[in-house]
Amino acid sequence: MGDRKLEDLLRVISLCASIQSSSANPFEVDIMEKLQVLKKHLPDWEFLDELLLDSEALYELAQIVKLQDLWLKQKATSLYIDPLLVQLKVKLLSRQALAESFVKSWHPIAQLDQLSPKGLEKAFVYWRDLRPFSERFKDQFGTYGARPGVVDYQDLVDLGIFTQEQFDSKMNVVYDELALTSKGEWIDYREFIESSEVEKKITRAYILAFLISDGMALVKTDPLTGKISIMPLPRRATGEAKSVAISVTEGT
Amino acid sequence: MEDAEKAEKAFLERKVRKAFQTLLLQRGRNPGVKGWELKRHLGRDYRKILEVLSGDVRALGLEVHEVKGVDGSDDASRFLLRFRDPPTMTEAETSGIRIDDLAVLASSIAYINSRQGRAGRRELEQFLKEKFPKWRVDYSIERYIKKGYLDQDEKSLLRIGWRTRAEIDERTLMTLLLSRGSEVATAWGFPLTFDYLVNHLPPRLSLLLHSRGEVRGVRKSDSSPRE
Repeated sequence: MGDRKLEDLLRVISLCASIQSSSANPFEVDIMEKLQVLKKHLPDWEFLDELLLDSEALYELAQIVKLQDLWLKQKATSLYIDPLLVQLKVKLLSRQALAESFVKSWHPIAQLDQLSPKGLEKAFVYWRDLRPFSERFKDQFGTYGARPGVVDYQDLVDLGIFTQEQFDSKMNVVYDELALTSKGEWIDYREFIESSEVEKKITRAYILAFLISDGMALVKTDPLTGKISIMPLPRRATGEAKSVAISVTEGT
Repeated sequence: MEDAEKAEKAFLERKVRKAFQTLLLQRGRNPGVKGWELKRHLGRDYRKILEVLSGDVRALGLEVHEVKGVDGSDDASRFLLRFRDPPTMTEAETSGIRIDDLAVLASSIAYINSRQGRAGRRELEQFLKEKFPKWRVDYSIERYIKKGYLDQDEKSLLRIGWRTRAEIDERTLMTLLLSRGSEVATAWGFPLTFDYLVNHLPPRLSLLLHSRGEVRGVRKSDSSPRE
């Protein structure tokens, strides 16, 4: 029986708290009815905790009365407009129209900002404690990314894309394929690297570039037709090496 | 006799000058000066001095404005200098304020006022996110709380902040927002009348908003928009 009475009190407190923490209508709380409940249970309270709970419920009801007062005052002013109407208006108006309405009712404050000794001290402390830019975001983002540049074989090995063994064996595979296809003659470079998968095509071109740089294959270009030809060499070539830039893209 | 008058005039001028400097230079975190501070700086008759100052700065397009404090006492009131007339849209834009930011603030004030002066932050955010990007809503609300345009309590309920009371003529704002109903069709770029829109809303809303010869809630006597 006592538990049920306490529950009544807790329910009153909970209801008042929920009304206060939302924008719900405070008139949803029937103050008279709740006071009657408190009045009915009051003679039954024996312990301090029960009396404290009773006074808390009374305090919460007083807060609701205060909210009701504010609610009425607000509603009595011409600022009160039905929320649905306001929502609809705001949704329908353009941002420009909203901004214009604001500006037409706006009286900006005129003021001068000044540097006070306190502000100066604050700025000094901030600057003194500020970590260098290079270290500031290290914890969050790690080190800065490298600028665009050339990725060489060692970089790929470092990045874990290739291991030394894999790369050597891949070079051997491509060399053998080149030797088999060309039979010691000049063959078309683009035909040789062509593949249905772009990644595979670029990998072949990349490995072939190493073979050519290593002197295991020759490359020649025809300036008139733009045709590029390659030929494998049975042994590593010696002599002066020249650089040839070949662009490899999807479809070409 | 003349000397006494001259002395009194000089004294008043000095006080007015001091009042102007006190109001213009920001002291604490927020602009404006509290009543008790002015009393200490200018004496008991500080209100009279502020009246004279308000008349003097009129030529510069400024005025002395009072924002009542929580308890309504003179000491708690905040006094500040503000523009007598609102700036033009061009002036506002050239001062670096984004139109979207102003639109968010206007919507927030209108929404809170329509909810009897307090609205849950989540409710307001949900409402604004239907019109503005999410990132702008979050960022703007936080900024307006910091600047004093909105006030947030420990239960995340938002109220109109002191700065809104100081800078914005809320009545004019609400009137202007409501009176712009006829621009709906042109803003959308196709010829829909407001009644058409209302008729296609849920029945309860439609009944509430249906035009009955004049736009609801707008009184010509209330509005004083500057052209």
